[in-house]
Amino acid sequence: MAEERMTKMSLSEKLGYRKGDLKNFVKYIADDPKQACKDFIYGKEHERRNLGDLYIQPTGLYRHREWRGLKDTLYYFTCVWCYTYGTMVGDILTSEKPLSFFKGLWRYRWVGQTYIPVLHWYDRGMEGMRGPALRASAWHYRGMTYSTIEQFMRMFARDLRFNDGKETELWKKTVLHNETVSGSVFYPFRDGGLVDIPLEMIPYFVTCHVNSNTVLHYIDAIQSLGLPSDPCPMCQAEAGVGIMDDYPDSAPCFVTTNEACDASVATSIIQDWFLNRPLYAMPQPMQYDDPLVQKRCQAEIEGCWKFVEEQTGVPFSWESFKKYAELQNEQLYFEREKWDVAARTNSYPINGVAQALYRIYYSQYGWNKTWQVLDGRVRKIMEECVTKQIDTFPKTRHRVIAWSCAPLYYSNWCTWAYNCWGLNTIINMDSLMFDKEIRTDTYEHALEDLSWYNELAPMRAMAVGGHKHIFQLWDYMEQFNCDMVVMYDQLQCKGMQGIKGMFEDEFRERGIHAIWFPHALPDKRTVSRAEIRDCISNYMIDVMHEEPLDPSLLDFDDSLTW
Amino acid sequence: MIEFEDLLLEAYNDLVRQAKDEGKYALGYTCYFMPEVLLNLPGCFSVRLRAPRSASPDMATYYMSGRTCMYGRALMERALEGGFNFLDAQLATETCTVTCRFQEHMQMMPGLINNPNFFCEFTDVPFKKNDNSILHYKDQLQAHVLDVLHEKLGVDTSDEAIRKAIEEQNEINRVIREIGEFRKLDNPTITGFEFALCQLVAIACPHYLILPKLKETLEDLKTRKPDPKPGYRIKVVVAGSENDDPYFIQLIEECGARVVADRYCYGSIPGREEIVIKEGETALEAVARHYLTTSQCTRFMEQHIMRQRKETLAGIVKEYKADGIIIEQMKFCEYWSYERMIDTFVLRRDYGIPVCSIEKEYTNGATGQLRTRFQAFIESVELKKLQSEQAERGVG
Repeated sequence: MAEERMTKMSLSEKLGYRKGDLKNFVKYIADDPKQACKDFIYGKEHERRNLGDLYIQPTGLYRHREWRGLKDTLYYFTCVWCYTYGTMVGDILTSEKPLSFFKGLWRYRWVGQTYIPVLHWYDRGMEGMRGPALRASAWHYRGMTYSTIEQFMRMFARDLRFNDGKETELWKKTVLHNETVSGSVFYPFRDGGLVDIPLEMIPYFVTCHVNSNTVLHYIDAIQSLGLPSDPCPMCQAEAGVGIMDDYPDSAPCFVTTNEACDASVATSIIQDWFLNRPLYAMPQPMQYDDPLVQKRCQAEIEGCWKFVEEQTGVPFSWESFKKYAELQNEQLYFEREKWDVAARTNSYPINGVAQALYRIYYSQYGWNKTWQVLDGRVRKIMEECVTKQIDTFPKTRHRVIAWSCAPLYYSNWCTWAYNCWGLNTIINMDSLMFDKEIRTDTYEHALEDLSWYNELAPMRAMAVGGHKHIFQLWDYMEQFNCDMVVMYDQLQCKGMQGIKGMFEDEFRERGIHAIWFPHALPDKRTVSRAEIRDCISNYMIDVMHEEPLDPSLLDFDDSLTW
Repeated sequence: MIEFEDLLLEAYNDLVRQAKDEGKYALGYTCYFMPEVLLNLPGCFSVRLRAPRSASPDMATYYMSGRTCMYGRALMERALEGGFNFLDAQLATETCTVTCRFQEHMQMMPGLINNPNFFCEFTDVPFKKNDNSILHYKDQLQAHVLDVLHEKLGVDTSDEAIRKAIEEQNEINRVIREIGEFRKLDNPTITGFEFALCQLVAIACPHYLILPKLKETLEDLKTRKPDPKPGYRIKVVVAGSENDDPYFIQLIEECGARVVADRYCYGSIPGREEIVIKEGETALEAVARHYLTTSQCTRFMEQHIMRQRKETLAGIVKEYKADGIIIEQMKFCEYWSYERMIDTFVLRRDYGIPVCSIEKEYTNGATGQLRTRFQAFIESVELKKLQSEQAERGVG
């Protein structure tokens, strides 16, 4: 349908021109020049923005960028657009092997497909935002962009394919690990020159957020070998990238885990098959808050450290571990401060999507200088907001907690939900993971805490080890002062599907407004973005009897968007 | 065999009723990782949960949605119908997501099991088979099986009691093994369906009541003469996820194959090996080591174990002189969806074994489609056999 619609469009329509645009614009200025002038300087009020009119349907591209007022538009253009494009070139030029970028671009389909739409990813995430919220959220996006470039450039610099099969020193001192193994496990080796790279984080995880089309090819690839379509599509995609030989061959060994689910365990078999490198499995216990399992879990981490030493020759260093663990603790303390501000005030300046992506990204990747720098900037913005009591999301009608695993192809649904309905996503389930500081006074304490830290991994801590974990929702709702729940109904997540009825019963008993929307993690073909929006809008209209803040966002077609 | 068939028609069968009437505790479980032997300590008996004659699990689908494995949902439906009210306890494992969720419902839904003293206790099962994992598993069995049974039901869980339970378990294992040996004959004197009945009654009924009947069956089989002309066209191994339905095996055999080995959950490979207590080991240590090392579950993640699983499967085909393998996967079983895909590829490519790869439901609903698949597979294997025989003879 969408393709048909595209073919019927004239070139000028494709470029975003609509008949009467100029006339309407002139009329708008002529009718009320004072208001037009005010709009130019401060931007339009929320209810007059008509953000939906900016889309070229069904591409999801903008006819023109939103005018946010003089100051914010200037900020967005210089500090987001120009700055990000600058870093996308500059960071590559200053990396270990700049030329390998072009080899990577040519060799791996996920690079080119993801690199071009990066700024559109920013636009989608920060649509309609103003002032400190725009600035703080943009910093989170910048941090992720920088780290993404760092990671894939590291992969390319070490890739055997780009070095004529030569096992370089860089290659020898690298460990690949499943993206659900936290980078913190490798802290003891970082000062010794070891580089740890989460294998799937860029080729799969980041790519689905930036360009949702990239991953579809990989899902199809693994299904063409006979895998049914019902297992978790994240694992399917990860396996598909492997089957297509689209992971850079960047390290002599690999560390895997059972996080987050049965399909992740099964994916390890595929990873072993295509990587064909020494593999260490570092599974986490399922009944993870049982005191009896802690010692055993710690032994597995020590086993992993021994494996890394043997495979890379980089020795274990307690000092290195201590240093990075303490830096990570600092970051966690700041995260808790942010939660505190989000829970107790209306001055939290980070939107739902920036908060969720940044939190999962940095905690999986492990401590990094970038996080420290940008946390400093965000702290400054947040302190200003709190001191001046700035209402960062002034159109908030409901404070929302989002539960279960989010749709990766539409992580910016919360930006839309705020703009359209005033639903402000305060916190989501995956952001609450890894909430554990690591004591560094003794080796034993550190190991004990690191083990706990890894047991509290995203998509897992709440989903396994008993229903009491998944039902922590009620406590968090209270803690974050939320009055509404958005339940992600990940259609292929067996753990969440298996407890759906109990949630329904509880919502009814507790009188909680919960909006369920289905999705298929990275696969937009199963449930489209428009269907997700419909689920939310229908609930808001039929159950809550509310009027949209911006009706132009109620119904639009963005099925062909990145 | 007819009696066995009757016993398998419901979970709360005559023998379970008899044991309950005799004052014994019925302990439910779903997975091989919950050692059957520990649930047969004095005063109690094990029942591996099944939901025979299940239809559409409508109530369970409300609780667990229609996108989860039907085995878990069928058990939930049976529980909601009151079919498991005879249970005194459920010894649960978080070994695959959906059965875990079902057992969590048993734990948290008041009145799901209408027995005021009912309890459900979870055991954590490791993903590796190394020494650390065996210790992990042993600690878990001690705390979440033995200590709980002792505290809540007053069961004797001493080393001596476990040794006695091991002896009894070994006895039933030996009988099932011997019955299974007949499947290795060139012309087997037992059908796969008959063997499945024996294996299933052994896990679904109290051991002390079913053992004499199994022994009787074994004696009968010893005198059974093979058919002069085999009533099958090829021999196959069935491997895969959960299958507690003997009529699924019967369906395969009706199509012209003889099922000679059962390497699936609820099957006998593994499961019927002798539990050996090594010198210096406690009985519990032996149990933990035995169940962890014999398991061929697809959740094991060590590199050498993942690779060895394929070899083991190919070895079973050879040992049982099978012509091919049917790999079945319960729809929505994530472990086996991957394992089936890889096995289908690797067993053909690396071991030259013909593979029929199917996805099925818990209830034998899609009989017509499955029958067509099996018939086509049997025909293709037969044709290959014929071609290779001709090639050997230099014909054609």
